[in-house]
Amino acid sequence: MNVASRMPGSSAAVPADGAVNPAKPPFLGFGLGLRAQHYDEILNGHPPIDWFEVISENYMLPGGQPLRVLDRIRERYPVVMHGVSLSIASTAPPNFEYLGELKDLARRVEPKWISDHLCWTGVHGKNLHDLLPIPYTSESLDHVVSRVQLVQDYLGRAIVLENVSTYVQFNNSEMTEWEFLSELSRRSGCWLLFDVNNVYVSAFNHGYDPHMFLEGIPADRVVQFHMAGHSHMGTHIIDTHDHPVCDDVWDLYVAALKRFGRVSTMIERDDNIPPLDELIVEVIRTREIAGRVLQPAKDV
Amino acid sequence: MSDFARQQSEFQRGILSGDDTVLAEILDSPKEKRETLYGVYRYAYGSRLIEAMRNEHELLHSYLGDEMFDEMGLAYVAANPSQHPNLRWFSHVLPDFLRSTAPYSEHPELSELAALEKALNDAFDAREGPVTSLADMSGFAPEIWNDLRFEAHPSTKRLDLLSNASAIWLALKNDETPPDAAALNEPSRLLIWRQETTPMFRELSGEEAMMWDEATSGIPFGVLCSMLATHDDPDGAAARGAGYLHGWITSGVLSGVSAGD
Repeated sequence: MNVASRMPGSSAAVPADGAVNPAKPPFLGFGLGLRAQHYDEILNGHPPIDWFEVISENYMLPGGQPLRVLDRIRERYPVVMHGVSLSIASTAPPNFEYLGELKDLARRVEPKWISDHLCWTGVHGKNLHDLLPIPYTSESLDHVVSRVQLVQDYLGRAIVLENVSTYVQFNNSEMTEWEFLSELSRRSGCWLLFDVNNVYVSAFNHGYDPHMFLEGIPADRVVQFHMAGHSHMGTHIIDTHDHPVCDDVWDLYVAALKRFGRVSTMIERDDNIPPLDELIVEVIRTREIAGRVLQPAKDV
Repeated sequence: MSDFARQQSEFQRGILSGDDTVLAEILDSPKEKRETLYGVYRYAYGSRLIEAMRNEHELLHSYLGDEMFDEMGLAYVAANPSQHPNLRWFSHVLPDFLRSTAPYSEHPELSELAALEKALNDAFDAREGPVTSLADMSGFAPEIWNDLRFEAHPSTKRLDLLSNASAIWLALKNDETPPDAAALNEPSRLLIWRQETTPMFRELSGEEAMMWDEATSGIPFGVLCSMLATHDDPDGAAARGAGYLHGWITSGVLSGVSAGD
């Protein structure tokens, strides 16, 4: 059965604003993406990091060291689960085996929230392991809203969805990405993870002002910022997450703080992983900038 | 099929097969042509999967070198598109692929090196299980030892290699020049397991391998000793059996010992 066909698709039929677990996730402070290269240093020391985000799939395993480490990290720090394979916008049937494993991991970790991306990763039984773009149409919006509701019902909690970096736009899009995200959040009750770098990358690639994106997202729906680096190819930018955060993205972070207020923020490095100290410097910078921009503190 | 579903099918087909149909629905950007922009996804597909294979098979990568490994990786990606949400499992049939696909099948050490790496990777994140200790054994009276049955730890795996792949693995692991590939006269019988958090392997004698295989399929200790008696000196069979058992327990490869059926 096509899930979209049995799920309410119109905004009138869908409870607005967080029907599942409507409480807004708490502010966690300034965190870092947990990477295996830093396990020992984190467990043997007490790095000044407020919380960790873990890649869900890295711990959707039968057992062994990764899960044991995660248990120990979880004893000391708040943890957020961030997935890459939910494929929430795929037109393929939902993968309930994946969702079951995700729910099992959430039972173990008790994350502050579970996030993934507004994208799809494959159809027809294949997985391309990429965060693939979608057209922003009323048809795709109805589909994704129904999928988010299904996933939220299955997990028993509202999820958080992140804007991805995109390299192409479709000629049948009927709205902007920020209009799509806003409507998706309003209709499904999901929260938003605002990846500052991804906004910068997509805005450059498609030739729009990233501040339009900022202004187009409802401030009360954003619960997390990602900060990351990228690779500039001249005519386009590739979201490699393998560089330090660049000055333009730091500037956009300031604008995001002014727009969204106090939001849990983290440094996300996926490749070319440097020593922990280098990333801590970036985490400290996110904290210092937020302290400066939000004086006096502005709660949303 | 909805428009959205059709578009996703075409987008995916363009990445997997090079079909350009979807380009008709993609816009040029202000600074770049759609072919180049869509090409970012095409390039990322192969490179991401090969990077995952490099991570899972670090020593096979060292053995083959970048160029040969990536060429092999592209062939594997084409033959085995990922069907699992977790990249961890993408290269799980690589040993089978290397065993059955020319020119790799002409070099059996490649498949066996991949099989050994896969077994160690699988041991690393295998399911947890209790670890039988020597103290657990002290609860069994001597008269019931013949009835003792053994359960393998979930991380254990037996592997019989017909090449010197384990010697190649050891040399590469120690950053030494690997020996020339060679076929073995007798199989190299390996036991792979996880000790605490570290994957390990060691070579078993033919007799110990036989006892392990039978013990972990439910044969009780008394019968195992009778089998050992047919293998070598019958008078020392029980002592040899007890010795192997002691080694297994101190290595942490057993998850349970029970008396009776």
